[in-house]
Amino acid sequence: MKPLKQSKLVSKLLLRHRSNNRLWLSLVALFAGTTLLLIAVMIWWNFSLILNGSANNDSLGSTFLTVGKNVTNETMGKKNATLFAPREIEAVNAAPQVEDVGVLIANKFPVYASLSIAQGFATDMFLEAVPERFMDNKPFGWMWEPGNTQVPIILSSDFLNMYNYGFAPSQNLPQLSQSTIQALAFDLTIGRGIYVEHYTGRVVGFSDRISSVLVPQSFIEYGNKTFAPTTPIAPSRLIVKVKDPSDKRFADFLKKNDYTTNSEQLRWNKMRSVIEAVASGTGLLAILLMGIGTLVFILFIELTIAKAKQSLSLLLLMGYSPRYLAMFMLRRFVPLIFVSLGMAAIIAIVLQGIAAKKLIAMNLTLPDLPGMWVWAALIVSAVALLIFVSRAIFNSLRGSE
Amino acid sequence: MRLSIDHIVPIPMKDKINEYNSRVWNQQLQFNSGEKLFIQAPSGTGKTTLVHFLYGLRKDYEGSIRWGSFKMQDIDNEQLSQLRAASISVIFQDMRLFPELTTWENLEVKRRLTNTVSEYDAEKWMDKLGIKHKMDSPASKLSYGEQQRVAIVRAMLQPFEWLVMDEPFSHLDHANRQRAIALINEVAEMNKAGILLADLDDNDYFTYTRKLLL
Repeated sequence: MKPLKQSKLVSKLLLRHRSNNRLWLSLVALFAGTTLLLIAVMIWWNFSLILNGSANNDSLGSTFLTVGKNVTNETMGKKNATLFAPREIEAVNAAPQVEDVGVLIANKFPVYASLSIAQGFATDMFLEAVPERFMDNKPFGWMWEPGNTQVPIILSSDFLNMYNYGFAPSQNLPQLSQSTIQALAFDLTIGRGIYVEHYTGRVVGFSDRISSVLVPQSFIEYGNKTFAPTTPIAPSRLIVKVKDPSDKRFADFLKKNDYTTNSEQLRWNKMRSVIEAVASGTGLLAILLMGIGTLVFILFIELTIAKAKQSLSLLLLMGYSPRYLAMFMLRRFVPLIFVSLGMAAIIAIVLQGIAAKKLIAMNLTLPDLPGMWVWAALIVSAVALLIFVSRAIFNSLRGSE
Repeated sequence: MRLSIDHIVPIPMKDKINEYNSRVWNQQLQFNSGEKLFIQAPSGTGKTTLVHFLYGLRKDYEGSIRWGSFKMQDIDNEQLSQLRAASISVIFQDMRLFPELTTWENLEVKRRLTNTVSEYDAEKWMDKLGIKHKMDSPASKLSYGEQQRVAIVRAMLQPFEWLVMDEPFSHLDHANRQRAIALINEVAEMNKAGILLADLDDNDYFTYTRKLLL
C-alpha cells in the first residue's frame, strides 16, 4: 500500500475548507502594506542622510553655516551694531542642533594687494580668519608665524566664479583657472602711512564653505595687535557647525534673533516638513494596510480552523497534541507571510538602487542598499506579524478542544 | 500502568446514582496493569459517560481518576495527548472515523502518529477483519459493521497499556466478532495491555479478571 505522509493527511483534514481568495487577499494587503512601510522608512532615512550631510553631500547637507547679524536700516548707522558679544556667541552655541561655534575675525588694519607682474592690478581688500577646525580643507603650508614673509591665502570659490563668469568677460580680461591663481604671488601691504609691512601672499586653496578671503588666524591676530591695538576685537560673523540645518527649531532661533545665514541651506527645512508629511502619510497608510492584511490573515486562519473543527477535535482525540497541530498550521502559513515580506524587501532594495542611481546625476550620493532602519522596520513588522498569527492559531486551537 | 477510580460520580447523574447500588460509581477501585475488566452497564446507567471520563473527554464529575501518575482532572493538554497517543487506546461506540478520508487514510492518521506498527501489520490486520478490499473507500461509504472493524484496527495501531472499549462489537455478526476478539487479544497480549470493555449485556468475549455492574 502506498505510504501516506502524516502532514499530507493532516493537511487534508484541516485545510480542505480553506478559502484561497481570502488568503491571497490578505497576502496582497500584507505585501502592499509592508512595501509602503519600507518606502516610508526609506524616504525618511534617505532624506535625513542628505540633510544631515553624511555621505559627502556638502552642497546640501553642509553642516557649516556662516551666521551674521542682519544689516537693517536701523543698524546701518551704528558702529559695532552687527558685532557679536560673547553672551550672544554663547547663546548661538546653545541653540538647537548647534555642535560648535567659531568666530570669523576680520582685519582691523588696511590691506592693499597688488600683482607685480600685471601693472595696475591693485586693490584694497579685507582678510578674515577662522579656527582651523572649521575649514573644509587645510592646504599644505597653511601656517604663519611672525617673521614669515609668505602669507598663505584661501579664497572662496565663489569669488573666483564671480571673476571668471562675471567680471572677466565684461572687462575683456582672461579667465583664470585655480592652478593659475595658485601660481601667482600677490604683494600684500598692511598698515598705514609709514607703519607698513610687506608680505607675499599666495593662494594655496579654495573653499566652498566660507565666503571670504582667509589667512591663518595667527596673521590676523599679529596684524590687529600691531596696527590696531586699541580696537576691540569682536567678530561680525560666526561660523557654526550644525548637525541638521533643516531643523525648524534652528531656523526659528535664527529668525528670532534676526540673524542671517546662507539661506540656501535653510530652505531645506521647508522641504523637510514636506518630506516628513509624505513619509508619515505613507507610513500611516502602510500601517493601516498592514493592519487590514493581518486582520484578514488572522480571520482566514480562524475561519479555516473553525471549518475544520470536527476533524480537529477528532485528531486531538486520536492523540495529536495541540502543539503539533499549531506548529503544523504555523509551518503552513508563516512561510507565506515571509514570502510577502521578502517580496517587499526586494522592492525596497530595487527602489533604493534606482534612487541612488538617479541622485548621482544631481550630485548626491546615497547608499545602494537600504540601511539599518529599513531592515529594522522589516524585522519589527515580521516579529509583530508572527506574534499575532501564532497567538491567533494557538487561541483558536484551544477553543476547539 | 495502574488505573485508580476514587468515588467518581457524574454531576448530571448525581441524584439518580444514589438510588441504585452501582459497583463503579462512588466506589473506590484499583485495576492493575494487564487486567481484563468487564463493566456491564444497562441502558441509562452512564456507560458512555464513564468511557468519556476515563479517556479525558469530560470532566464533569466528582471524585478522581488516575492513570498511573496522571490525575485526569489536572492533566494538561500535552500530557493528555501523550497519554492518548502512547498509553490508552480506545474504541468508541460511535466509531468516530474521519468520513472524508478513505479506510486506509483513517488508519494511517493513527499509525503515523507513533510509527510503532508496520504497514505490513496494519494491512494484515485489515485482512483478518475482512476490510482490506475497502481500503480505498471513503469511510462515509462504509456500512456500520465495516466502520466498526476499521475503528477496531485503528485502535491497534498505537502502543497501549490499556484498551478501553465501548460496545465495540454492536454492529458485528458472530463470525466477525470472533475475528475481532482474536485480533484484540493478540495485539493486547503483544502490548501486555489491560482491557476495559463496557457493554449492555453480560458476555465472555474475553477471559475477564473482574466483572462489575455499573
